[in-house]
Formats: sequence, C-alpha cells, structure tokens
Amino acid sequence: MARGALALLQGLLVLALAPGVVGLVRWLKARLQNRRGAPAWQPYFELRKLFGKEVVVSENASWLFRAAPYVVFVSTAAAALLVPVLAVPLPIDAVGDLLVVVYLLLLGTVFLALAGLDPGSAFGGMGSSREMTVAALAEPTVALAIFALALSAGSTNLGQIVARTMSDPAAALSPGHLLAFAALFVVMIAETGRMPVDNPATHLELTMIHEAMVLEYSGRYLALIEWAAALKLLVFFALLGNLFVPWGVAVVLTPAALALALASLVGKLAVLAVAVALLETRVAKLRLFRVPELLSASFVLALLAVTSSFLSR
Amino acid sequence: MESLFAQLVVLESSLVLIFGLVLLWRRRVPAYVSAFTWQSLVLGAVALTVGWFGRERELYFIGGLLVLVKGVAIPRLLGRMERRFASEREIAPYVNTATSLLVAGLLVLFGYAIMRPVVAASDLPTRAGMPLAMGLVLVSLFVVVSRKKALTQVVGFLMLENGIALLAILGTYGIPLIVELGVFLDALMGFLVMQIFVYRIHSTFETIDVDQLDRLRH
Amino acid sequence: MTLDTPLAAGLAMIAAYLAGAAGAVILPGSRAGRVVAAAGAIAGATAGVVLAAGVLATGHAFALHVPALLPTGGGLALRLDGLGAFFLALVGVGAAPAALFGVGYSAGYAGRYSLRWLGAMLNVFLLAMSLVTLADNVLTFVLLWEAMSLASYFLVMTEHEQPDTVAAGAWYLAMTHVGLALILVAFVLLMPPGAGSAFADLRARAIALSPAIRNVVFVLAVVGFGSKAGLVPLHVWLPRAHPAAPSHVSALMSGVMVKLGVYGMLRFALDLLGVGPAWWGALLIGLGAASALIGILYALMEDDLKRLLAYSTVENVGLITIGVGAGLLFASLREETSAALALAAALYHALNHTVFKSLLFLGAGSVVHATGRRDMNRLGGLIRRLPWTAACFLVGSLAIAGLPPLNGFVSEWLLFQSLLPAIGSPAPLVAPVMTLAVGALALTAGLAAAGFVKAFGITFLAVPRSPEAEHAHEAPATMRAAMAFLAVGCGVLGVAALTVLPRLAALLAGYAGLAAAPPVLTLGPSLALPDGFGSMSPPLLGLGLALGAAGVWLAVRLGAARGLRVGATWGCGRIGQTPRMEYTSTSYAEPLRRVFAEVYRPTEDLTIDVHPESRYFVQSIAYRSEIVPWFERYVYGPLVARVTGWAARTRALQSGSVHAYLAYLVIALLVLLAISLAWND
Repeated sequence: MARGALALLQGLLVLALAPGVVGLVRWLKARLQNRRGAPAWQPYFELRKLFGKEVVVSENASWLFRAAPYVVFVSTAAAALLVPVLAVPLPIDAVGDLLVVVYLLLLGTVFLALAGLDPGSAFGGMGSSREMTVAALAEPTVALAIFALALSAGSTNLGQIVARTMSDPAAALSPGHLLAFAALFVVMIAETGRMPVDNPATHLELTMIHEAMVLEYSGRYLALIEWAAALKLLVFFALLGNLFVPWGVAVVLTPAALALALASLVGKLAVLAVAVALLETRVAKLRLFRVPELLSASFVLALLAVTSSFLSR
Repeated sequence: MESLFAQLVVLESSLVLIFGLVLLWRRRVPAYVSAFTWQSLVLGAVALTVGWFGRERELYFIGGLLVLVKGVAIPRLLGRMERRFASEREIAPYVNTATSLLVAGLLVLFGYAIMRPVVAASDLPTRAGMPLAMGLVLVSLFVVVSRKKALTQVVGFLMLENGIALLAILGTYGIPLIVELGVFLDALMGFLVMQIFVYRIHSTFETIDVDQLDRLRH
Repeated sequence: MTLDTPLAAGLAMIAAYLAGAAGAVILPGSRAGRVVAAAGAIAGATAGVVLAAGVLATGHAFALHVPALLPTGGGLALRLDGLGAFFLALVGVGAAPAALFGVGYSAGYAGRYSLRWLGAMLNVFLLAMSLVTLADNVLTFVLLWEAMSLASYFLVMTEHEQPDTVAAGAWYLAMTHVGLALILVAFVLLMPPGAGSAFADLRARAIALSPAIRNVVFVLAVVGFGSKAGLVPLHVWLPRAHPAAPSHVSALMSGVMVKLGVYGMLRFALDLLGVGPAWWGALLIGLGAASALIGILYALMEDDLKRLLAYSTVENVGLITIGVGAGLLFASLREETSAALALAAALYHALNHTVFKSLLFLGAGSVVHATGRRDMNRLGGLIRRLPWTAACFLVGSLAIAGLPPLNGFVSEWLLFQSLLPAIGSPAPLVAPVMTLAVGALALTAGLAAAGFVKAFGITFLAVPRSPEAEHAHEAPATMRAAMAFLAVGCGVLGVAALTVLPRLAALLAGYAGLAAAPPVLTLGPSLALPDGFGSMSPPLLGLGLALGAAGVWLAVRLGAARGLRVGATWGCGRIGQTPRMEYTSTSYAEPLRRVFAEVYRPTEDLTIDVHPESRYFVQSIAYRSEIVPWFERYVYGPLVARVTGWAARTRALQSGSVHAYLAYLVIALLVLLAISLAWND
C-alpha cells in the first residue's frame, strides 16, 4: 500500500520537476555561451502564463487538434509514472515495462504529428513528416538497447533491471551496458528534439522539426504540449540515470533512503543536464539528411551492445 | 579478478571496434587520423591489460611499441599526407553512410557468428573480445572496398592491421615477439609503399580519388 | 452443450451461406438481393463463430465425414480442431462486418455491375474460406482452396471494365495457381502411396519420411501458402488485386484470406509434418522480416489509400510470420514455453490484424464511396465531412501502428517479448537471428507509425485538395455500423488480452513441439511472461490513460483560461491559405524516400523550361518521379517477358483447324501411354 502511494507521489514529483529540468538545461547553456540566461524556474512562469491565455485555433483545425494536447500530455505522464524515479520495486511495474514506456511515448509523438497536419499549414506538415521520420528510425535503436538491458537483467521490467544492476555493480561497467547507454543517449537527443538533431531554440520555421509541428498551438494547449515535452526529457533522463547507474534508488521505504534517493535523482538529472547543455553548445545542428546517419550509428552501437552482452555471458 | 579482466578486455575491444566505425561515419581525413590514433592507443592498452593480468612481460614491450609506432609515428605521417591533400574529402563513397553503418553492424554480427566455435573452444579470459576483433577486421576490409579516396583506404588498411594485432593479442597472449616485430615491420613497410603510391597517384591525376585509376586503361 | 450443437452450428453455417448466395441470385430488385446476401453471410459467420467457440471451449474436435460426396478422393472429410477453429472464428469476425458494410457499399453498383453475381460470389467465398479450416483430407482441402481462390478472383473482377482490374486479376490468378501447384506437390509428396489421403494418414506418413523430403515438403508449403499470404517476394498480386476489388471484398481478402495462407503453413508445420530442424523457423523469420520491412517501406511511398493498406497487409503478414518462425525455431530447440508464447503472439496478431485491417479497408471504402477517389493527394479535410468514418479510421490507424492501449499494441508487445527469451538459448545462431528480428520488428513498428500518420493525416485532416473531397458526404448507417463494430473490437481485443491470450495458448497445446499443458501467461491483472521476464497490464493501462485524460481535461477546464478564438493558419506573414500549400502524401514521405533511396531507387525526371532571354526566368517546371519495386523490375519483369515470349512462340501451333487440335490430343495421349508403359516396366 505504501508502495502504491509512493508510485503516485513520485508521479507528482516528476510532473513538478520536469519544467525545472528544461529550465536548468537552458540556464546552463546560456552560462556556457557567456549569457546570463533566464533562471532555471523560468519555465514554470511560462506555463502559468500560457495556462492563463486564450487559445487561437486555426479555422481549418478539427476536434483532433484540440484533443491532441491532452493525449500527448497523458501518454507522456503515464510513461513518466512507469519509470523508476525514487524507489523500486513498485506495484506499478506490473502495469508496464520498458517497452510500454517506449510505446506510450510513441503514442504522444503520433498525436503531435497528426495535430501538425491538421491546420493544413506547410510548416506543420513539414514538422510532422520529419518528426515521424526521426521517430521511426530511432525505434530499432531503442528496441536493441532494451534487448541489451534485458539480456543482462533477465527482464524488461524496469524495477527488475534496476534491482539487478544494483546487486551486481560490475554489470554497470560492462561494455553491453555502456554501449547501450551511449545508444540510448543518442536516441534521447533525437526523440527530445535536442541538438544536433533539432534546435529547440530556433525561430526559423524551415529548420524546425518539433517546433514546426506545434507552431499552431497557443494558450493552454501549448502549455500542455510544452509540459509534455519537458516530461519526455525527464523520462529519458530518469531512464538513463536510474537504469544504468541505479545507485541511490531506494530499496527500502525509510525516510533516510527516500531522501538519499531524491538527492541522487537531482544529482543525476543535473549531470545529464550538464551533458546535454555541453553537447548543445559544442556541436552544430546536423543537416536533416545526416540525422539518419546519426541514428544508424546509434543502431550499430546498440547492436554492439547486444553482441557484447552475448559475449560476456 | 578474472571477471574484471574479461570485462576490461571486452570494453577495450569494443572501443577499438568503435574507433574503426568512425571511418564510416565521419568524412574528413583528420577525423580518420585521430580515430586511428585513439584506436592504436586503446590497442596498446589492451596489450598492457593482457600483459598485466596474464603475466606476460613481453606484452608490455609490444604495447609500448604499438603506442609509439601506431599511436605517434604513423599518425604524424598521415597528418602530413593529409595536409598535402587538404581539400580532399570522402564526398561520395560507393555505399552511403547509413547503409555502410548497417552493413558494418551486420559484419560485426557475422564476426560473432564465425568466431563462436573458437570462443566456445577457448577458455582464455580474453576470448570474449575475439569476435569484436574479427568484426574490426571485416569492417576494415569493407572500408577498403567501399571508399574511394586512397587516404581513406590507407587508414582502412592500418585498421585492418590493428584488428589482426588485437586478434593475436587476445587469442594467443601475443605471438612470439619476433613474429610480432616482423608483422610490425611489414605493416610499416606497407604503409610507406602506399604512401609513395598515394603521392604518385596525386601527381598524375591531381586527385587521390582511386576511381580515376580506370583512366589508365585509355 | 449437447453433442449435436456443433453439428447443428456447422450445418447452419453451410445452409446460411448457401441461402445467402441463392437469395442474391433469385430475389428480384437490387435492395432485397443486397440485404439477403448480407443476412446470409452474417448468419453464416455467426454460426461459424458459434461452431468454433464450441470446439475451443470444449477442446473436442468436431468431425463430419460424408463419403458419398467426392467418392474418389476419400469423401468429403471435415474436422475442426483447435487450430482450425481459431481460423474459422477469424473468418467469422472478418466476414460479418464486411457483409454488413456491403449492403450500403454495393448500392452504388446497382445498374452498373451485376449485384446478383456479387452477392452470390461473396457468400460462396465466405463458405469456401470457412470450410477450408475444416478440411481433413487432401481432396477436400484442395477443392475448397481452389473454390476460395476462384470466388475471390471473380469478386476482384467486379469492376471488370477497368483495365487495371483486368491486369490485377491476371496477376492474382497466376500467383494463386502457382501457389496451388506447389501445395499440390507438397501434398503428393506426403501422401502414402496406395493408402488414404486423410490428414491422419499424412501425419503418420510424415514421421517415416526422410528428412530431405520433409524439408522439401516444408519449403513447398511455405512458398505455396506464402503466395496466398503475400510473403515477399510472392506478394506482388496483393497491392494490385486488393485495391481493385470492391472495398468490403478487399477487407475480406486482406483481413481474412491472407491469414488462411498462414493457416496452411501452420497446418503443415505444426500438425502434418511435426517438429522440424531449426532452420525452418529461421527461414520463416527471415521471410517474415523481409516481408515486414519491404511491405511497410512500399506502403509509405504509396499515394493510393487502398494500395497503401494492401502493402501494409504484406507487412503484417510478415510480423505474423516472424512469430510463427520464432515458434517453430523454439519448438525445434525443445523450448516449449517460448514456442507457445511466440505462436500465441502470432495468432493474436493475426486476429488483431483481421479486425483493424478490415476496419481500415472499410474506412477506405467509405472514402471511395464518398469521393470516388483513392489518391490521397486529392483527398484531405474529410474529418469534418465524414466524422464517423474518420473516427473509426483513426482507431484502426492507431491500432495498426501498435499504440497502447489498442489491440495492435498488445500483440506487438507479445511478439517482442516472444523474441527476447531467445537470449537464454544456448543454440548457435539463434542469438544473431533473433537480434536482427528484433531490429527489423522495431523498425517496422516505427515506420508503420509514420505510414499510418500519413494515411490518416493526409486523407482526413487539413483542407480538401479536390472538389470531390470538398463535397464528400458521410456513409449510410450500415457502413457506419460495420466500422463502429470493428473499431470497438480494436479496443476490446486490446483490453481483453488477459482472457484471449490464455485461450490461444490453450488451443495450441499439444501440437507438434508444444507442451500438452499450456504455459501460464497471466498474473493478476497483468500479462506476465514466465520467469518474470516482463509484464504488462492492458486493462490497467487503458483505464489509466482514460482516467488520466479525463482528469487532465477537468483540471485544465477548471484551472486554466477558457478563451478560444478561431483564426487563420499561420503562414509566415502570408495571407490566404490554399490546399496547394499543404503537405501531400508524396511530400510527407519525401524524407523517408531519401533515407531509403538505396531501396527504392526512384527514377526522377526534372524538366525546367526557361525564358529564352535569361535562364534565371523559369517558365515551367515539370517533375516526375516513380518508384518501380526492384523485385518487379529485376524478377517479375524478365519473367513475364520470357513467359510472353514462349507464349508467342507456341502461337505457331495454333492453326485454328479442329483436325490439328485433335491430332495434338491424340499425340499427347500416345505419349502419355508410352510413358506409363515405360514407368511400369
């Protein structure tokens, strides 16, 4: 029962934390580029503002355009609820495993892509078409990275992967794990629309992927979508942080363990945020047609991860 | 101890292989040279690791030599060649990048498949790295076949040699020193010969695109 | 349940289909004929489902032997076991909504085509498909198989004056008969000389056969049934014949008939031949992966909605075949639990595909009915004009893209999970094969999501791109009801996985290579794999998503500003939005076409007319690009050319004189007699 309550609690925590992570990445990036930058809690103000504004909807848009933000938000939040954040094992493990998380995120992507087509604008269609291309090509990497993880953990259940890695620290340094981490990191970059795949700060419609798709959104709908995008980033951060470096995740439900879990979570998020900010500062955006090459490189990494997992068994 | 040894070897072998894959992904020669440099350094580290855990003194020597020759000397020569043909880059290989990477993935799996019996029969702690070394050999061969620029092919050849060296270190804990040295010398000579060829090709055709060689027939 | 219930249901099924066929022919007037044909089909389908459910529930096979019919081939032998019952139920599930849809859809044919013929053939087709699953000896099976093929051929030819239809029919007829020939050879090799041809005799004989012959029989069966199922490279007839048929027939062909190809393979591999070597499974995994990838890659490039769906059928048959292959592979490695899981996943996906592919074809039919067009570049904006069709098509698209919590997601999850246990297998080459299969499966899933965003988004969203789409109208009630039934089915089959999956595992128990007791695959409210390998709860997931959506909607409704203003679409400062500015089907697929250019090898033709004064003033630009699938260019092209060449040469024999033909007959007779003389010596 306590664990059930904790599952809900950590869901709320993730919802609350997500905009802050995006703000942190933005702030770090600004500092790295010698700008002062908005504070890390700026996204919370933005969300409040957007929720308070009226919505402008295109005259061509149908009900799907207005339903999509809810689907996107709920599917991403559901994925966030399944990811181990503070403690394992939680009863929610039985609801969905790692594959379910991936498919829930895909559900959100599909609805965003449909909503991008709905107003009939060329930009929306362009963003939608590109987003689906990137999402489709990222899928095999995700599957093989999961395969590599499941190989060493003997399960695709998130709680079990965490528990298994914790019980065998050497496994965390095994090549299979490291390569799968690298592969999943690339996928994270591609799926959350970060440089070098997509530029989240661009104002030029023709170079956008994600932003072009949501160009028509405003007000509360945009707030939901932005929040969902932040959640998606957090989901990937939590997966990368807790599946590959599980230490800190609470196994027993004592206040001390939970406090440590929270601290280690914040620490891991900060490290990953620094990594993303550094990467975004250092590399230039790839041409769209170099992106498949990046993704096939990540696929090869994942394939290597699986192969070395066979080898070291 | 044993498992740490095995894991380190697989990790280093994976790194050696990944630096080989850089050839397929990047397009500029400096990137190739630095990939080769890093690969050779990691290869040296493999030799040291195997030497340390396997208690083979000779391997320290080989490791040092690897670092000196392949990690320092050859990259310098390559860098000189690169500066000479500064504008040459691998623009359109025969097989495009994404496909090359996928083919490389398949080759690695294939390497795994053909090395399986060897791995199964072996009880060395290093056996798990051998399929990766075989993968590197196959991938380097693929690079040599599928790229057009002579410089890329030279780097591919050097990586092929690295793959064979890795296989030797892992499979036999270093073949006798004298053989190893002979192979080294061979590689170095081969490299120098290729260097001369590249210069000649360049002075004849104003490019090092080996596609142009078919003009010799006319 | 009394013993006679199955018999009654079986007879009722046959009688209902025959009555539907007869009614369609006899009854005057278009409306009565249409209604009776559909009523017969629906009654037959229902009786079929009852019969199948009885067999599945009791576990007792139902058998009926009528030696008086077909006296030479061992009589008409029918027997329904678990495997057959599953496919019989699948026929029923697909048949009833398609027939209902046909009532409204074929109204448009009145006066143009023969509705009597259409109604009668529909019922004959359904009867043949239903009975194929019951056939228990070679002659019965082959006759019913051929009846099914011919009836579907006639249905494809409904719009017979269209040149495309004629060509499609020719392709279909050729492919299906090549397949039939191979199946016949496979049967003949299995038939004990001089003894009976009942499946029981074949089973007994298979054990005694040499491995080489068993391998040959297996390959023949795979190729023969694969041509019906649409496995690459035998799938070329699918994207031709399925779009040419009336839409409810396309739904039946894509949703149901191709599954009978899978049924044939399973009947041979699991039942008649028994456990084979591991490469049988690997072969099927390879064929399945190739079909899945090639199917979805070409589906992505299609601008014709129904052709897109047909290619996607190739993809899904590929997925099913991967599952079947994995099952056979595990069975030959004696990993019974994994084998049962993989086969159950394959069957589940087959059932799900029947539901969502029928739904999508019916949706496409509704679009064709409303606009007369299948070219997505000329559609668009239909979500406002056909709200019901759009909603149903959306459900189908989400299901086929494998998105939670619908049925496609559950079966794809199971397929993934059935491949992953291979990692524990000590057998060589299993791991690399499974790794590649997982990669192929995942890429297919991703591309399918992209493909169906395109199919739904370009057809139904944005602004209409033609006057026909502009003035489209919603489908009549029967068509809407049929689609709604299947859309609900997508949701129910997803959530009800907890009850469906154990039944599938149970019906498979006892076949070659599978344990007599089915593995336990559920735990509480979750699907749970053996050894805690993974778990997932479709009902809780569905419930969570629904509650979450309601909660968020309510919270936003209460907490956020409510203002809503309708404005023009943002155009970078440009004023005025025309349909020409939208993304079309072709442009949507452009990035993927570039990425996979090495597969597609598109031909491009760009002509730019410039002003005579300066080349900077362009007067017109013409761009044409075409993708000819490579297997058609390099395999079928030369093949067809050669066959045509031979045919032209044999024309010399055609003198037109009756005497010449009689002479040929006599010569052929003499040669055959001579051969038989030589044979007997």
